[in-house]
Amino acid sequence: MAVAARNKKSARRRQLEAAINYPIDWLEERSGLVGGIKYFIFRKVPGDTNWFHTLGSATLTAFLVQALTGAILAMYYKPDPQSAYQSIQHITNDITLGWLVRGMHKWGASVFIILMFFHMARVFLFGAYKYPRELNWIIGVMLLAIGMLEGFTGYLLPWDQTAYWATVVGINLNGTAPFLGPFLADFLRGGAEIGGETISRFYAMHMLLIPGLIFALIGLHLYLVIRLGVTSPPWSSAAAGSEAAGEEPRTNGRSGLTQPAARSGWRRNGGEG
Amino acid sequence: MASTDDWRRQFTKYKEDVKERGKPFYPYAMFHDTVMSLVVVSVIIGVTCVWYFTSGEDPSSCGSGHSCLLGPRYSDPADPATTNFVPRPDWYFYFLFYLLRIFKWPDSVILGTVGIPTIALIIAFMLPFFDRRMERRLTRRPVAVIGAILVVLSMGVLTYKGATAHEALASEVVGAVPTWAQREGFAGNAEAIAGAKIFASSGCTACHTYLGTGSSNQGAPDLSAEGSKGRDKQFFTSYIRDPSKFGNNVMPKFGFSDQQLGQLAAFLLASKGPK
Ligand code: HEM
Repeated sequence: MAVAARNKKSARRRQLEAAINYPIDWLEERSGLVGGIKYFIFRKVPGDTNWFHTLGSATLTAFLVQALTGAILAMYYKPDPQSAYQSIQHITNDITLGWLVRGMHKWGASVFIILMFFHMARVFLFGAYKYPRELNWIIGVMLLAIGMLEGFTGYLLPWDQTAYWATVVGINLNGTAPFLGPFLADFLRGGAEIGGETISRFYAMHMLLIPGLIFALIGLHLYLVIRLGVTSPPWSSAAAGSEAAGEEPRTNGRSGLTQPAARSGWRRNGGEG
Repeated sequence: MASTDDWRRQFTKYKEDVKERGKPFYPYAMFHDTVMSLVVVSVIIGVTCVWYFTSGEDPSSCGSGHSCLLGPRYSDPADPATTNFVPRPDWYFYFLFYLLRIFKWPDSVILGTVGIPTIALIIAFMLPFFDRRMERRLTRRPVAVIGAILVVLSMGVLTYKGATAHEALASEVVGAVPTWAQREGFAGNAEAIAGAKIFASSGCTACHTYLGTGSSNQGAPDLSAEGSKGRDKQFFTSYIRDPSKFGNNVMPKFGFSDQQLGQLAAFLLASKGPK
């Protein structure tokens, strides 16, 4: 009796598992995505990665906050000189939680920039820009520059005095560049004066062009991070790149940190690096 | 200096190390990443709350009724005509903003606006190619450490200076007009005095200095003795009407009326330097 019940249950369980696995296998067979995600999640990282290594994903989180809050703001913001300011007031004062969305976008921008600098500092201090990660450093510098451009184009949009005059000066500064300067300034302004054309231009760049570029570059950046693996800390005994020839890897007090994997069962991906 | 083969050997060793002694991304690193991301989102929300709940719907309520710890929700609507407003970029451009004060118009401003940022960017791009040593331990990378300290210090100082730079407010500057008129000897010239008031209240002193008032910014020159350079009224009127026609792409086009332009020109013409 009892045995029969158990068998029945496990048969049901088998059915359930099959039902869950079917779509997963279906997806895997047609895309290989499941294996990719599994690889991403269970790939090995150096045993002594630590809190410093979280700065990159923290930057990513800050960027995703910007993307999400930005998309919501775009539903209410009106990019023309007659209504931009009112739409910002409306978002901040009237719309339910509008203040939160706008505030998170406004302050998240600064957090994003600060985190990029912190992440860059960690990469620099860890010497993580060295072979074979030079390209990823270069992509990172591009992200930094483009991230600041994103801040510059967003600053105009509230169309208040702060926004307007900062942009007047900013565009005119571009104008001082040799040869290209005046063209660049004219292009940014969209005419002789800062006005409706300028807002549309800044809006398009701020909403489409620059975020698209940032997304693409972050994609490349993360692809390289996964392909090459993250650098272990320079104090790590493993592959820290000590130049003195033949120097034995130091096994210091941190070796405990190096091997927490040994006490866990997470070895699914043992075959891959 | 390591050879390419050294690098390859070292990277192979790294991969072996990770394979043998590494730990899986999930749950270890992922746990840290998640905690950090939650901290980031909480900080953003926290700052937003402080900003919102210490400010009011009206920007002028800052200081009266609202403490505006993190500034107003927005400033007054953009108004291209009254520039009684000190232009200031967002904080992460302060270093650039201050750098520009160090360079004076017109020959060297390009150094500040384009030269230094471009050089800094190129150095940043090229860093992996300058530093080709394998060594990663900080105690054995003195140049990198000193370089990092210098960069952080100079960025910090420039940002701080940019943030605290005293910008004279229009109302204070207007108070100085009688002194100017007396020292420059145009007290009897009503048109020049009217021009001086426009000059003082329109934000010109955000970039130009005049008898020690204002702050030199973006490389704009001192104007205390502008009238002794042999230029005529016609020149000043058309220059201020559209500075870009004279190759000045930094100074904004203010949109003054013809009468205001005439008064400003009279003021500049009468500014022959302190007596
Ligand atoms: C949108 C901005 C950025 C995002 C979302 C981002 C994200 C990440 C993530 C998630 C990692 C994995 C390891 C870690 O978190 O430390 C990483 C590694 C790396 N990042 Fe970034 N990053 C950004 C900007 C930058 C900048 C500005 C630089 C430097 C100029 C840079 C250079 C690097 C390098 C060289 C690595 C490899 C580090 C290693 O192997 O240890 N990244 N990035």
